[in-house]
Amino acid sequence: MNIPFIKYAKLWYVITIIVVLLSSASLFKYGLKYGIDFTGGSLLEVSFSQTRPAVDKVKAVLDELGLKETVIQGSGDYKFIIRTNFLTEDQHQLVLRQIREKFQTPENTLHEERFETIGSAISAQLRQRAVWSIILVNLGIIAYMAYAFRRVSRPVASWKYGAMAVVAQLHDVLLVLGVFALLGKFSGVEVGIDFVVALLTVIGFSVTDTIVVYDRIRENLLHHTGDNFAETVNNGLNQTLMRSINTTMTVLLPLLALYFLGGSTIHSFALALLIGMASGAYSSIFVASPLLVLVEKWQRRG
Amino acid sequence: MANKIYIKNISRSQIKWRSALVAGLFIICLFIVVPAYANQGLDWLNAKANLGLPRLPDNGFSLGLDLQGGAHLIYQAKTDNIPDKDRADAVEGVRDVIERRVRGGLGVAEPLVQTTRVGNDYRIIVELPGVTDVNQAIKMIGETPVLEFKEENNVPERDLTVAETKQMNDFNLAAEKKAKEALRAVVTGQLDFASAALQYSDDIQSKNNSGDLGFISADVFPELYTWAKTRKDGETGDFLIKSAGGYNIVKRISQREGEKTVSSTNLSNLEYNVARILVATKQKTDIVPPKESWKTTGLSGKQLKRAEVTENTQTGQIQVALNFDDEGTKLFSEITTRNVNKPVAIFLDGQPISIPKVNEPILNGSAVISGGFTLLEAKQLSQRLNSGALPVPVEMLSQEKVDATLGADSLARSFKAGIAGLILVMVFMALYYRLPGLLSVFSLAMYAVLTLSIFKIIGVTLTLAGIAGFILTIGMAVDANVLVFERLKEELRWGKTLRNASEESFPRAWSSIWDSHMTSLISCFILIWFGSGFIQGFATVLAIGTLVNLFTAYTVTRTIMRLVFPLFKEEGNYLFLGYRRSSAAPVNQSK
Repeated sequence: MNIPFIKYAKLWYVITIIVVLLSSASLFKYGLKYGIDFTGGSLLEVSFSQTRPAVDKVKAVLDELGLKETVIQGSGDYKFIIRTNFLTEDQHQLVLRQIREKFQTPENTLHEERFETIGSAISAQLRQRAVWSIILVNLGIIAYMAYAFRRVSRPVASWKYGAMAVVAQLHDVLLVLGVFALLGKFSGVEVGIDFVVALLTVIGFSVTDTIVVYDRIRENLLHHTGDNFAETVNNGLNQTLMRSINTTMTVLLPLLALYFLGGSTIHSFALALLIGMASGAYSSIFVASPLLVLVEKWQRRG
Repeated sequence: MANKIYIKNISRSQIKWRSALVAGLFIICLFIVVPAYANQGLDWLNAKANLGLPRLPDNGFSLGLDLQGGAHLIYQAKTDNIPDKDRADAVEGVRDVIERRVRGGLGVAEPLVQTTRVGNDYRIIVELPGVTDVNQAIKMIGETPVLEFKEENNVPERDLTVAETKQMNDFNLAAEKKAKEALRAVVTGQLDFASAALQYSDDIQSKNNSGDLGFISADVFPELYTWAKTRKDGETGDFLIKSAGGYNIVKRISQREGEKTVSSTNLSNLEYNVARILVATKQKTDIVPPKESWKTTGLSGKQLKRAEVTENTQTGQIQVALNFDDEGTKLFSEITTRNVNKPVAIFLDGQPISIPKVNEPILNGSAVISGGFTLLEAKQLSQRLNSGALPVPVEMLSQEKVDATLGADSLARSFKAGIAGLILVMVFMALYYRLPGLLSVFSLAMYAVLTLSIFKIIGVTLTLAGIAGFILTIGMAVDANVLVFERLKEELRWGKTLRNASEESFPRAWSSIWDSHMTSLISCFILIWFGSGFIQGFATVLAIGTLVNLFTAYTVTRTIMRLVFPLFKEEGNYLFLGYRRSSAAPVNQSK
């Protein structure tokens, strides 16, 4: 069985372009909803022993205190999460005291589960580091690929393998960003440092996946199998197809377990990874490899 | 790279040796991860054979604050009024003050207080594991350090006033009366000892434990001990014994051999379990507060200009030099004049940090403290002095705290997810790749215990992100196996023998395995080097997982395959994916 992936390259380009356009549209229209890691601010998670008070009642109490940009999110029957501007320790205690006074009864006691407050200096630093780590990881990968593929500089220069792997990876990152822009708009999902970690992992995985395909193409090139470059690439794709599917399965299975069993703290982290990893397997077959053939074609014309 | 592949001939006995090594490593790692079972075994061995084997340390994994609960605070040190070159030292002094406060004042056992520099800003990171009521901690950390110079307190204790003496005597008379009443009740059998203790005893411990005081030694309860020595078990004293705290009615319960300590005062080291009813009396010290050994002089950090480490020009000895301002110079000359040949203590936050002796009056406001310091000790002392002299205010930039129950919940959930993920992957591998897949289950189990024991040995702090990273590496760990098994399938399809196919599939898959692991490692190292805490925790776990994976995928799976495959026919059977029935004739080749 030999699936003619490259023959239908145009179809894959169309699908890819649609995905990229939709993701970009979602990203630019809605934008990501940044968490307090990046914007600065506070997050307070409290639970009540019996039932939590209604969200708008709590909101009224906090507005009275003069807190800005307050968002309160109920979670289950017992908990709610308050997000607001940066609180000093005194303000934090004041908020707790007020909520206790208004809503706590001897039977229904309040318990503070989590509190985070991040000042602008820290959030600026986190933003800066996130951007730099994404840039550095990409540069590192291109450099390594150029080195690893140095012996196959014909017909396509070795650094171009790295560059194409990065292009495929950008597709995956863009898809995840687009989905999270939608989620941010419609279900209030915020992105923080953990989201950046998920993105970086997706980048690593996507590139790894592409490398395995390219590796096989490299081996085929060295052994001169296939009549032309397109056929060589197509053979490589077919030979690595089951590996791509199975590796993706074995990575997705634990992530599914994490998504369903891991609890709410890790929910969006697992989701970002799930989308990105699945997309990573797709892009190494349908984006990275056809692109390589395209690059070779352009080279011949030019 | 993969041009020529030679099959090495490895003898059967070598394979058995390697398998034994792998099995041994697995057992060792398993014991490191769950030492409780290993220790049970060792105890049994020690009991049977008396080998005196040491037990394995039974430490858990070190957990991050998000899993064990605790607080993470970041402070900005405001160093504006401190000259550039002294800033690092000044911030180090603040760090030291904060650490002393959280350790001593709050009793946090393992706080982590460290300084970091971001651009031109100095920051102090405080981690308080297990502490979730951080309000108190935050108050203490924010306070300005108090540096005080104190001198010996020579003021004699005051005597009791007439009224106080009368009050004390009245109280003690009443106590004696009450004690006699209790004694009568016990001796006549009107009350048993336990209920008498409950009714009369002023000693909380004995009151709530039917009078039981536990085993006593001669050092702590000399009067009771002397009495108990001459009595029999079960005997109750029929007279009141006066001790420092009041009147005692005592009952001896039992005796035992105490710890063997050499003591001149007490040659027999028997200990007695006694019960007592204590009726408390008052002493002079209960009314007049005990004398403080140091008293304030009025000289404090405010009048200290700065302290620095210097070297004695004549002896080369390392010393700490102090410089006072005008007011401080005056106070210090007075203090040193009246305390020649006596000690003067320097207190920071109520704790003495140095108690130098005054050799001569110091009138010019510059003094040195010498006394066999190492450079490090001198530096620490000068930092501490400066933290009181030039306080560096701190401002909280961020606070993160997680309640212990939430942390435990996260831990339990991610643990469950990890186990479920592991089992799903194992089932998938065995179902898809059949026998080789089943073998990879062992290598995956090996991967899990080896990685976890490395976490334990090098003390990786596991955070929620780290555990997520570990769960992710489970999936990635089988990738190498998948690559090999796909190769195996191809080689079998080409009609190679099982042995040739399996031997060739490893080196052929190697370049892909190597390249993909290298890119992962490059990402990880960039993240460890450049990332912040959360990212670092994740990347560290991922890096360790990737490295272990390189080892287990290649070595463990290969060894098990070499051990098991010869048990099957040369061309394999349905247990192997890629097996073709028609290709009965094996192709002999080694290339």
